[in-house]
Amino acid sequence: MESPKSRRLTVTLERVVAGGAHVTQVADAIVVTWRDIDIAISPILGQQGLAALYRRSLYLCRAAHPWLAANLEGGDTRMDLTELKAVLTSQDSATAAAGGGAHLQALYELLGSLIGPSLTEQMLRSAWENSFGGPPAQDLST
Amino acid sequence: MTDKVTINRLPTGVPGLDEVLGGGLPEFSFNLIAGPPGCGKTTLAHQMMFALATPQRPALYLTVLGEPSLKMLRYQQQFDFFDSSRLNHSVRFVNLSDDALTGDLSAVLRRIVAEVEKHNPALVFIDSFRSVVLAGETEGNPHNNLQHFMQELAMLMTSWHATTFLIGEYFTETDANPVFTVADGLIWLRQAVQRNSMVRKLEIMKMRGQSTLAGLHSFRMTTAGIQVFAQAGAVIAKNGEPSAELAGERLQMGVPKLDAMLGGGLPRGHSMLVAGPSGSGKSILAGAFLAEGARCGETGVIVVFEQRPGSSRNRQIDGLIKSGQVGLVNTDADDISIDEVLHLLLKEIRRLKASRVVIDSLSGFELKLAPTFRDDFRESMLRMVLTLVGEGVTVLMTSELEDRYTDLRFSPYGTAFLTDAIIVQRYIEVESRLQRVMAVVKVRASNHSNELREYSIHEDGIHIGDMLPAQEGLLGGRPTQRKIVKARSPAPKADGAKPARTVSRRE
Repeated sequence: MESPKSRRLTVTLERVVAGGAHVTQVADAIVVTWRDIDIAISPILGQQGLAALYRRSLYLCRAAHPWLAANLEGGDTRMDLTELKAVLTSQDSATAAAGGGAHLQALYELLGSLIGPSLTEQMLRSAWENSFGGPPAQDLST
Repeated sequence: MTDKVTINRLPTGVPGLDEVLGGGLPEFSFNLIAGPPGCGKTTLAHQMMFALATPQRPALYLTVLGEPSLKMLRYQQQFDFFDSSRLNHSVRFVNLSDDALTGDLSAVLRRIVAEVEKHNPALVFIDSFRSVVLAGETEGNPHNNLQHFMQELAMLMTSWHATTFLIGEYFTETDANPVFTVADGLIWLRQAVQRNSMVRKLEIMKMRGQSTLAGLHSFRMTTAGIQVFAQAGAVIAKNGEPSAELAGERLQMGVPKLDAMLGGGLPRGHSMLVAGPSGSGKSILAGAFLAEGARCGETGVIVVFEQRPGSSRNRQIDGLIKSGQVGLVNTDADDISIDEVLHLLLKEIRRLKASRVVIDSLSGFELKLAPTFRDDFRESMLRMVLTLVGEGVTVLMTSELEDRYTDLRFSPYGTAFLTDAIIVQRYIEVESRLQRVMAVVKVRASNHSNELREYSIHEDGIHIGDMLPAQEGLLGGRPTQRKIVKARSPAPKADGAKPARTVSRRE
C-alpha cells in the first residue's frame, strides 16, 4: 500500500541523484534515515523488533532490487547499517537511491499494514521530518 | 484544619470501575493487575492510561517480555479509547525487552529509573511484570532478589509521584508472592467458563486506604473497552427508600377492578410478580401498568427478554416507547449477568426519571443468563429487586408458570418470596372452553381480595369479570359445578321441616 508519505522518500532521493550527488552521499542520506528510524522505533518496539521489520522490508523489495538483499541469506538478525552502506556504495547513485528508497518505503508500508497509517505516521514523524522534511533535496549534493 | 495527607482518587475512565474501587484509584499507588492470559489485563491498563494521561500528567508504558509491542499496538488500537495522536506526547511506549533478556533485575531497575527520570511520568505501566520476575529467577535466589527489586521499585515510583501499574499473568492469588505484599492495590481479572459460555469477572483483592466493593463483579469487553458491572447489592441507590409522603400512595394498574382486588392499587415502591402460563395475558397486564403510568404523567422502563429483536411486543407498549414515555432496555448480548441488566435498567430509570419498571419475563431472563450465574439466580434477583425498590421505583415482573394442576405454585424459581405482591393467572376448562381466572395471592402489609375472578382479553385489554361461584376446584384446572342437593330430610317434626342443607359434590 503506497502512501504519499512513503512515496516522498523515493522522490527526495531521486532529486538528490538528479542534483549530481555521489553514491556515498546517497548512501549516507539513507543510513542517516535508518538511524533516525532506529531512534524513533527501537524505544517502542525494541531493537529486535526493528531488526525484524528491517529484514522483512529487505525481503519485500528484493524482487525489484536483488543486489540490495544479497546479505539476507546470511541468517544475521541484526540491523547492520555498516553492511547496508557497503552494499549501497557498490552501486551507482541512481541504483543505490532507487534500492535504498524502496527499502525505506517498504518499511513504512509494512509498519502501516501492521499498526495502521495513523500510528505509523506518529511513530516515524521525527525520522521523516529530519530526512525528508528539511532542506530541499539538491542542498544535500552541495 | 487537618494535618493528615489527602489522597486524591483518580477516575479510571473505565465505566463501573471507580464504583468498585470505592471512588477511584488512589494517586501514587502501586498496583498489580493480575489474571490468566486473555482476561483483559492489557486492555484494562490501556483504557486507564488513555483516560488518565494528559500532557501535564503523561504516561509511560514499559513493555518487557511477553506480548511483542508491535502486536500489542496492532490489537489495542482496535479499541475506541486508543488515540494514536497522543503517542509520544501524553503517552509514551518504551521497550525494555533487551534489558529483561539479560536476566539481571538490577539492570532492568536501572533502565526503569533512567526512563522515569528522562520522561518524568505521572503514570507508569510495566507489561508484563511477570516476565520481569521470570527473567530474574534465572539468576538464582529468586525471592530475595525479587523482594529487593519490588521494594526499590515501589519506593522509586512513589517518591517520583507516579501512579504505577504492574501487569502480570498470575493464576493463583494465594501464593506468598512478594509482588502481592508490596502492592497497594491488587486488581484480579478472571474468566469463568461453563459449558459453552464465558464470563469475565473482576475482583479488587486489596486497595490500601479505601473501602472497595467486595466480591466478584462481572465485566464485558467490547470495542468501546471494558465496562464493569458492580454487584447488584453493592449499588443501592443513594436516594434509598421512597419518601414518606409517597410511601402510602397506591398506583393504579390500568386494569379495571384489579385495583380493587389489590386493596386500592399497588402500593408505590412495591414489587409485584405476575405468574401465569403462556398466553394468559401477563405481558398485556404489564403493558397496561406502564400505560396507566403514562396516563398519569409517569415514565417507565421495560426490559424484554423473550421477543425477537424488532418484533412487536404490543402496540400499546410500542407507542409508549416511541413517544419516549417508556424506555426499552435491550438485552441482545449473550451470557449476560443480572448485574449487567441492573446497570442498564438503572441507567434508563435515571435518564427518564422513571417510576414504573417492568421485567418481562423472569423465565426469559434466566435463559439469557450465562450458566455460571444461574446457580445464584434467586440471590441475585433478591439483590436486584431490593436495589430497584431502593431506587424508588415500583416493579412488575412476569413469570412463566407451567400449568401443573397437581400443585399450587406461583413461580418456577421459588422467587415468590422476593416480591411484595403476587397475582396468579390460571387456565380452567369450563364447558369445553379454556377460560382464564386470576387472583391476588399476596399484597404485603395490605388487605386484598381473596377472590378467584374470571377474566378475558380483548382488543382494549383485560376485562375482569366475576367469581365463578357455581364452579369449584378452579385451581385444579377442571372445575366442577357446585350442586345444591337436599340432605336427606329427617323425619318430620312437629315444629316444622328443617331447611335444606347445601352441600357440594363432585359430579
